[in-house]
Amino acid sequence: MRKIVNLSSLVLFMILGVSMSVSAQARKKADKDTENFRYEIEGVGVGTQGTYLIKVWSYSKKPVVAIEQAKKNAVHGIIFKGYTGKQGVPGQKALTSNPNLENEKADFFTDFFADNSKYMKFVSVSGDGSIAAEDRLKVGKEYKVGVVLSVNVDALRKDLEAAGVIKGLGSGF
Amino acid sequence: MKNNLKISFIAFLLLVSISGAFSQAKKPTIMVVPSDVWCNTNGYMTEFDNQGTKIKVPDYKRALQENADLLLVISKINELMTERGFPLKNLESCMKTLTDQSAEDAMLSSKGGASVNESPIDKLKKVAKADIWMQMTWTVATTGPKKSITFVLQGLDAYTDKQVAGASGTGAPSFTAELPVLLQEAVIAHIDNFNGQLQKHFDDLFANGREIILRIKTWDSWDGDLQKDFGGEELGSQIEKWVSSNTVAGRFSTSDATENMMLFEQVRIPLYDAANKAVDARGWAKGLQKYLKDTYQLDAKLMMKGLGQAQLVIGEK
Repeated sequence: MRKIVNLSSLVLFMILGVSMSVSAQARKKADKDTENFRYEIEGVGVGTQGTYLIKVWSYSKKPVVAIEQAKKNAVHGIIFKGYTGKQGVPGQKALTSNPNLENEKADFFTDFFADNSKYMKFVSVSGDGSIAAEDRLKVGKEYKVGVVLSVNVDALRKDLEAAGVIKGLGSGF
Repeated sequence: MKNNLKISFIAFLLLVSISGAFSQAKKPTIMVVPSDVWCNTNGYMTEFDNQGTKIKVPDYKRALQENADLLLVISKINELMTERGFPLKNLESCMKTLTDQSAEDAMLSSKGGASVNESPIDKLKKVAKADIWMQMTWTVATTGPKKSITFVLQGLDAYTDKQVAGASGTGAPSFTAELPVLLQEAVIAHIDNFNGQLQKHFDDLFANGREIILRIKTWDSWDGDLQKDFGGEELGSQIEKWVSSNTVAGRFSTSDATENMMLFEQVRIPLYDAANKAVDARGWAKGLQKYLKDTYQLDAKLMMKGLGQAQLVIGEK
């Protein structure tokens, strides 16, 4: 009996370990996707003053990871990528026009985009955070998940300006 | 004693070099105005007879006094630009200041009874000024019960006549939202794209110099002209040479040249002079005025318009 209990505990630990390792790998892969701009952003509506209301499509084998990564992708996209608009909602350009900014300020952005770090301050899930059925797609072995988020662009821009990462409109004058 | 003098001299040099290093470029002023199309559509134009030709000009004062939506849009744009660290000149305040100043000038007299000098050109220059005009237009489209707003924002350089920034688009149609709400939404939706382009314009200004216009004219009292030889070449060519060697990478184009006038456009002047002081069109053209005086003993009257336009009239001051 004791042997069976020991064996099942061992199996349980192994399953737990494997699942944690798979999760960690999925997160690592999601971070790599963010760095490689493997996500899509579309405008959802005109946000309130100083914010953008966007839908971010992220990829992962685990939908939970894709949903969590959407926040990072949203901030990353607003800084480096921008997004196209649709009827009635204009697209917005990236906060920086310098294509090499990510490499030039690599130290800053490594800390900024570390898990649950500063970028979280500028993004929030719109509504109750539930994902509509049509926004959860299975593409091959992966899930493509669309999350509607609100990004506080004014605060983000001010933070980057204060850190000397991007220039303010009046700087130099 | 000698050592103290040396130290003070070095400290002075350091102070001068540091103050030079922190010198700031001259900041352009920006003002929001409604476009002529908007004023015309909404009936805010005045008509006057210019030697037999009827000319319509926008009546900003009446528009600002009568149209609350216009005030809302201007105020919203001003608010958002201040948020971005670039406060704008306000059209309404500017017009009030002009009126007050005119009244004051008319009443001003010295103890001896003298009044303020004002030439016809001074009078002509008493208008609202800005280096960049932020010109906006909106139209309301109605389809059944639905309303939508088409919003156009243009940033126009007052001197080069170039559009340096712009944003436009039509908002989502709405059944319920009122016009002021739709207008606010339109401003919020477009201001960041506008500022993105404005930032690019400023980046270009810092990288390639300020773009100005230089006009050369001659007084009819002067017995020479721009095709007369000075130093073995026509005066016009000598001026062109000076402009070429005093612009950033020699960038300029001679748009017009006769014996009486020359027009230089797309002239890229450095933002700072040799002493690291911020320069505008007037400061830069002073160099040409001095060159003409020192080299050819020619007097010239220098006039300016804002940061980006200078005019030299050769012959006398």
